[in-house]
Amino acid sequence: MRRRVSRWGRIVGTGAAFALFGLLGVALGLSVYPAAKRCSSDPRVGEFRVQRLVHWTFRAFVRFMKLLGLVELSVHGAERLRAPSARLIVANHPTLLDVVMLGSLMPQLDCVVKREAWSNPFMRGVVTSAGYIPNDLGEDVLAACAERLQQGRRVLLFPEGTRSPKGQLGTFRRGAAHVALSSQAPILPVVIRCEPASLMRGQKWYDVPDEKLRFSIEVGEVLDPRSLVGDREPRASAARDVTRALRDFYAKTLQTLSV
Amino acid sequence: MHAANEIFDWVADVLKQQFQIREEFLRPDARLVDDLDLDSVDAIDLSIRLEEKTGLSFKEEDLKAIETIQDIVDFVHERL
Repeated sequence: MRRRVSRWGRIVGTGAAFALFGLLGVALGLSVYPAAKRCSSDPRVGEFRVQRLVHWTFRAFVRFMKLLGLVELSVHGAERLRAPSARLIVANHPTLLDVVMLGSLMPQLDCVVKREAWSNPFMRGVVTSAGYIPNDLGEDVLAACAERLQQGRRVLLFPEGTRSPKGQLGTFRRGAAHVALSSQAPILPVVIRCEPASLMRGQKWYDVPDEKLRFSIEVGEVLDPRSLVGDREPRASAARDVTRALRDFYAKTLQTLSV
Repeated sequence: MHAANEIFDWVADVLKQQFQIREEFLRPDARLVDDLDLDSVDAIDLSIRLEEKTGLSFKEEDLKAIETIQDIVDFVHERL
């Protein structure tokens, strides 16, 4: 019985957390974020400011979820995420909260976001003010990511492009490899685990498990993309080598079967 | 490079060398995206190689109409 009650409590808590997230998205997206961006005439400075505010919002949100007993988060190698230089952060994508968890660990983070967010009232404010990159620009998405890395910024990419299929790894696309190779930025591979599996692709938010979600984020060693490819290898081939190396790393670390 | 089989051999060679496509997949009816896993960046690289080799120019709508290796061979063969 106690288990049932606590499960209902968790459903209510999860609902409250999502509602708060949506409300914060609208409220801050309409007020604080755009104002922070306008504070500077240099759009880059404005974006940094907004990204820092997003980081604080995510930190507060993660703390709120911890207080409600919904999640637990353990992080290994967080200091590698905070190095103040260009890093292409790649991660597997098991849950809906991955961006929030990662964002709560880094004060500056550029993300590629679905184009729909620009017409979603909950997200429009934040994605425009923070200067996130819409995902429908074709090869220009890769160029935009590379450009930000060349400016010394952190960029987050999920090589699977979307959330991972349940307990597995999806197909790795080669965009992240192209970005790493063209910008020559170091890759920081991040492994995200969530036990029990929850908030997966196609799962309803209220499909809450009986226990607290235990997130673990493991930040790997910096990887130089050039160390993975030959000197004069054509970029199509080099991108395949880097993508294969990344996928092997994740498959080995997560010990999952490929789909 | 005018005979269709020569064009095919050349395209197959580029796909093998530059795009790491295994020999057994290189059949005329192989679909570039669905069977050979080429993406949009690859399409650009492949069209550049073809332009260098043949002197033809590939417009965006030409690339969109190309689905299989045979489509590339036909495109080049008809224009040379």
